[in-house]
Amino acid sequence: MSVLAAAPGAPSVFDGFANAVALVVLLLEFGMLRASLLRAQVRLYAGQSLAVSVLAVVVAVGHHVPELYVLAALSLALKVVVVPLLVLRLLRDADAEIAGSGALGVASEVLISIVVAAFGFFAVGVLDIHSNVLPTAALSLSIAVVLVAFILMVVRRDVVSQAIGFFSLENGASLASLVVASGMPLILEVAFLFDLLVAVVVFGVLMRTHQRRSQSLSTEHLDRLRG
Amino acid sequence: MIALPLPLIQVLQVLTVAVAAPGVSGFISWFEARLQGRRGPRIVQPYFDLAKLFGKETLVPEGAGVFFRIAPAASLACYLTVPMLIPVLTSYALPLGYMGDILGGGLILALGSFLVATAAAETGDAYAQLASSRAKTFAAITEPVMLLVVFTVALITTTDLPYVLGATVRSGPQQIVRPAHLLASAALFMVILFETARIPVETHAGTTEFGMIETGRTFEHSGPHLALLHWGSAAKQMVLFVILLNVFIAPWGMASTTSLTAVVLAIGAIVAKSVLLGVVIAVLDNSYAKLRLFKITEFVSAALLLAVLAVFTLYLGGG
Repeated sequence: MSVLAAAPGAPSVFDGFANAVALVVLLLEFGMLRASLLRAQVRLYAGQSLAVSVLAVVVAVGHHVPELYVLAALSLALKVVVVPLLVLRLLRDADAEIAGSGALGVASEVLISIVVAAFGFFAVGVLDIHSNVLPTAALSLSIAVVLVAFILMVVRRDVVSQAIGFFSLENGASLASLVVASGMPLILEVAFLFDLLVAVVVFGVLMRTHQRRSQSLSTEHLDRLRG
Repeated sequence: MIALPLPLIQVLQVLTVAVAAPGVSGFISWFEARLQGRRGPRIVQPYFDLAKLFGKETLVPEGAGVFFRIAPAASLACYLTVPMLIPVLTSYALPLGYMGDILGGGLILALGSFLVATAAAETGDAYAQLASSRAKTFAAITEPVMLLVVFTVALITTTDLPYVLGATVRSGPQQIVRPAHLLASAALFMVILFETARIPVETHAGTTEFGMIETGRTFEHSGPHLALLHWGSAAKQMVLFVILLNVFIAPWGMASTTSLTAVVLAIGAIVAKSVLLGVVIAVLDNSYAKLRLFKITEFVSAALLLAVLAVFTLYLGGG
């Protein structure tokens, strides 16, 4: 029966798998938006970084780009182990558990993020970029990750969520760089990773100073002008 | 090799669901009890319960109208109409298979639960009304999820016939790993957890009236009416399992010819697959706690998020 024939146009197995991994990155970003415990947020960040490393390995295997193994190992060591451990240690000193400080309710946050993610998908679709390494859907997904990370930073009112939002934004950026320029010189990728380390140090200092001066992690009373 | 006539296979599809459904429910509650270290009820216990209830008299609350009387039989009829439309035993479409698409099947399922909710509202019992109003509140979010899942199917296959999606999934691994398919399957699974009253939405065999949603609607029914309602909810669970298994995640092991052996093997296969899915659901039941009422909205809206993303990746990203 001709009507039962499979519809054409499915991406290849490799593309589909890469897309699915990129999708996991986006779903974990949404998870961070919903998470109300700070530790849960940090754990989700570690999981997201792991997904990005896995994608790097997938591209390395599928397209024979051996530099990407180095990148995957480095990002595994830094973003899955070192950064989350540092943030968790800072949290232990800060003695605060619950973020729960969103400017909006969880449902509205998720709705806004869906709209913003849709904008990201449309924007990439209009640009009509084609990559010979990864499918376009992964690029759309990485732009959506970056935009949702922005939302996370905008609506949350505590230093840790904002820091995690910034770090996961970097995850989205490295996902995009894997898609459009996986042959990028390794030194550039590593420079990105060390940028992240600088950001971790800056946010660590910010968290400690803020905690010492206001006895909380909330940024709510930073908007009052004082002479 | 004996070839069966197509109408007979069509009837067998309905009979398989009607007969096996209470058994699958019984298996899940038995397995769940074993996981908790209890001995648990016999697997065939639901059949004994049905026989016992059919032997009793029916009591109708004062003032209850015609909906209360017809809802049990009508809802069971709705749930047993759907197996004619979906691939239960065969991978090829049966004569009535083109009578309705997935949307039509979803509509008939929704009509069944609407009838039960109306009957509950007619009784004047506080708990039954509470349960039916809650069920409809959350269904306002799960219905769009079903629609978006159907849209995903339509975008993948360019039709919305369940047989075609099953054939598409069988056609190769590239159809299975594509994100849209994974997301739609996950969203459908979450809707099934809600519709069949499993953790994290409610405790399936709970006795706390305040926590009941699906199971609380039948409080005022008794005797054969209650038996029909129990049978109906088991049949609905089996129908949803069949849709998830034979259309989305495991469309293998179905008969591709009309021969007797193939059909008998297919009956065994669908029961075995449902039992396996039941194992997964029992493990989930034992691993999570029931959500508070207002957190259920977050659970169903997570399913909505998955379904929306499925349409996005497909429509805007080609994934």
